[in-house]
Amino acid sequence: MSYVDAGYSIALATLFVYAVSLILRRRRWEKALQMSEPGVEPEGAPAHGDPS
Amino acid sequence: MSAMTPSTGTMTRRPRWLTVVGVLGVVAMGFTVWLGLWVTPPDEFQGNLARLLYIHPAIATVALYWVGLVAAGGSLLYLWPRTRSLFWDRLAAASVEVGAVFAALTLVTGALWGRPVWGVWWTWDARLTSTALLLLLEIGYLALRRVPAEPAIRARRCAVAALLIAIDIPIVHFSVDWWNTLHQGGTFIDPGFQIHASPSMSWTFLLGFIAFSLLFVWLLGVRYQVEVLQDAVGDQELEVSLSERWSEDTELVGAGAGTGTGTGTGVGAPVPSPGGDAP
Repeated sequence: MSYVDAGYSIALATLFVYAVSLILRRRRWEKALQMSEPGVEPEGAPAHGDPS
Repeated sequence: MSAMTPSTGTMTRRPRWLTVVGVLGVVAMGFTVWLGLWVTPPDEFQGNLARLLYIHPAIATVALYWVGLVAAGGSLLYLWPRTRSLFWDRLAAASVEVGAVFAALTLVTGALWGRPVWGVWWTWDARLTSTALLLLLEIGYLALRRVPAEPAIRARRCAVAALLIAIDIPIVHFSVDWWNTLHQGGTFIDPGFQIHASPSMSWTFLLGFIAFSLLFVWLLGVRYQVEVLQDAVGDQELEVSLSERWSEDTELVGAGAGTGTGTGTGVGAPVPSPGGDAP
């Protein structure tokens, strides 16, 4: 691999990985915010008033 | 599209303009790579190595000027009492994190160009050293931001740190003038703004600047949203903890009143105090 190919590959791959990590972080914090809402039950949990 | 939490009124929007900027950045980057690797001719002196110059100066421009502008500007506006808002603090923090990525890429792409042209991966040249210092300072800023503190204290402390980091930016910029460095000064555009390159090379160079600048804006926007969400979750958890603590206190007071008078209220059973079940 030439220096030029390496330079382009590293730059583009780094930016791509960082962008994806930001999107995943944003999604995770959105879920955390929804979970921390008072009265919001975690997924799969029985709703209030449901017979257990 | 937006994620909204009605009870707190906190809203983290995903504005359409940000998506448009991201798409434009990706398209511009695609054209830059295509032009830079396949369309433009090799340089008369550097051959194919000149193709690295379509990305390295553009990345360095983002790392130095755009990041410096947003981080220092945001920090100043936060510290200024009339414009004080956590918006500026979050924007500066987002900018520094994105800037650290671009600063690291500046050093890596520069080393990949320097090895065949200068014969070394790294040298303690003023431009290289001051850029590496910038990266280290940005990492220090991010570490400082993780130190637990109240939002206002953290914001003030980080704003001061960002302004201290900004002192390094003119040093990086003028390092090639102030010291005798291996890193050359402006060779593509001279002080009279005369461009020394063929049209296809010039357009690719310009497009590279636009592409990386658009990507910076998009990354900054998304990173800012993460910052807002983090703070919203922190506020929400604090609110829940306080309300739980309040309800515990209320129950304890109710139990104390019930056992102290011996009369009760007649509504429900008295709430036992923690550990109060022992005979």
